[in-house]
Amino acid sequence: MVKGSKNKFLDFLQILVILLTAVFILVPIYWIVSGAFKQQVDIFQLKLLFTPTLENFEIIFRSPYNLFDKLVNSTLVALSTILIAIPIATMAAYSFSRFRMKGERLMFVTILATQFVPAVVIVLPFFILFRDLGILDTRLALVLVNLSLVMPFAIWMIKGFIDSIPLDSEEAALVDGSSRFQVILNVTLPMALPGVITAGIFCFILAWNEFLFALIITTNKAVTLPVGLSLFHAEEGVLWHLISAAGIMIMLPMFVLATIIQKHFVQGMTMGAVR
Amino acid sequence: MKDISLNIRDNEFLVLLGPSGCGKTTTMRMIAGLEEPSEGDIYIGEKRVNDELPKDRDVAMVFQNYGLYPHMSVYENIRYPLKVRKVPKLQHEDLVRKTAGKVEIENLLNRRPRELSGGQRQRVALARAIVRAPTVFLMDEPLSNLDAKLRVSMRAELKHLQHELRITTIYVTHDQIEAMTLAHRVAVMDNGIISQLDVPETIYNDPANLFVAGFIGSPPMNLLKGDLKEGIFKHSNFSVGVGFGECQEAILGVRPEDLELTGPDNTDCSGRVYSFELTGESTLVTVKLDDDRLTIRGPKEYRVSIDEIVGVRINREKCYLFDAVSQNRIMN
Repeated sequence: MVKGSKNKFLDFLQILVILLTAVFILVPIYWIVSGAFKQQVDIFQLKLLFTPTLENFEIIFRSPYNLFDKLVNSTLVALSTILIAIPIATMAAYSFSRFRMKGERLMFVTILATQFVPAVVIVLPFFILFRDLGILDTRLALVLVNLSLVMPFAIWMIKGFIDSIPLDSEEAALVDGSSRFQVILNVTLPMALPGVITAGIFCFILAWNEFLFALIITTNKAVTLPVGLSLFHAEEGVLWHLISAAGIMIMLPMFVLATIIQKHFVQGMTMGAVR
Repeated sequence: MKDISLNIRDNEFLVLLGPSGCGKTTTMRMIAGLEEPSEGDIYIGEKRVNDELPKDRDVAMVFQNYGLYPHMSVYENIRYPLKVRKVPKLQHEDLVRKTAGKVEIENLLNRRPRELSGGQRQRVALARAIVRAPTVFLMDEPLSNLDAKLRVSMRAELKHLQHELRITTIYVTHDQIEAMTLAHRVAVMDNGIISQLDVPETIYNDPANLFVAGFIGSPPMNLLKGDLKEGIFKHSNFSVGVGFGECQEAILGVRPEDLELTGPDNTDCSGRVYSFELTGESTLVTVKLDDDRLTIRGPKEYRVSIDEIVGVRINREKCYLFDAVSQNRIMN
């Protein structure tokens, strides 16, 4: 009996902690979602009952905010980034995982070390570089910057997945008559696919949320969604109802991707090696 | 690997046998082209293959962990070598089904490897290797992941398959029973060298050195330290006349079946029974002789209790003598 009540208490404690954590994470999201459907006058009021409106979404897509252009910019930049980064990162990761070469460790650490440099430090050199190349305020410039940000991360992540694939299948394919390229295409890539997709989605999220470089490098034509958020202030102060609506537009694709990623994570764990 | 010279005959079933880390798998991987020898030549037929890629060597390999492609069906797995070797597509189905029939997996063709048992996976790996007729068949401990019963039946199947296909086969194992039962010839490897290369019978009956003597046989040969003077081997517990040899530090080797249990008197040596085991077809009695233990295979009806004193008679004809320093056999 004593043991039973102790267990019950622990169960209760567990649920309480889970609930508190959930509340902690969900309150800001609730605030944004509710704010997006509130009128400006209601925004600072904590009342749960208000007349919902879609007006905010209409405003953010109209001039002067033109959020649609920024949505297009963000989408194109993030998509181009992963479309270029993932194939190159996969090949680099394969080489790091499977071939032994001189200075390999140093090379790998150097690639990772680029991630440790604070973005603020390199934002100015990038600005000067792009100004001299004449590509300031273009999507190309953003794609280039994002590539330098996501590539080391993608290589590191995909390498981990390839490392976990047993060599047997690859060697079997080599002996069966494949060239190295066929091995990668027919055997390694299909087996590492959950990892490659996961890395792709993570990189998409990184590129999608990138703020600092986009803020400095773009001014008008190539402005992305996160930078677009900073436009929402007026004489009456910060326009939280519009920021909330725009925030939902930024979060929505992430929610979809998070759902997909979850599925692939599970698949990546269960696929495993055949022993 | 040190100075290995190995000539494998056409259609031969050669087994590379040795403990783990002796270099047998490395030897096989060098033949397959998965590892590069730092020096020396490898010939397959008349062709020097050192600089050839694995795919150009016309070998097929079965891996210890099967090396199946988990994302492909069994059918696709077996078809893969045909596909990458550009065998005309029209022949694929026929070849795959015929091969699957040979290893009795026709009904599994649509499954994925993860839906198969160990034995079935091994059959798929075999089918993938034999679907095209390679010049050389390489097998790296293919039975080691199977349970004991399945291993025995797969062993017989492998032997039959090799006989039927008549493809030169190199087989790596650390299991001496597999080696003895499958091989035309066995190469016993130790520390990167070939200790002895011969037919299984000779390997068993005429071991070239201490390593081969101790490695082959189950239970292994009894090895007792002593000295050999004027044809008489002296152990701390007994001495026995073997008729030849002279060596300060000698080792007497005698197999459990070449020892006979007797009463404690009028015999070669005697000691206390350390353990008594029934194996079904015979009994194994371990007798303590000072610091050494002697295992004797007795008749299946034989019974003795632990700590009882028994006598042991040594069959002098079946004694092997080795030099403890050089580890070589002392011959008559």
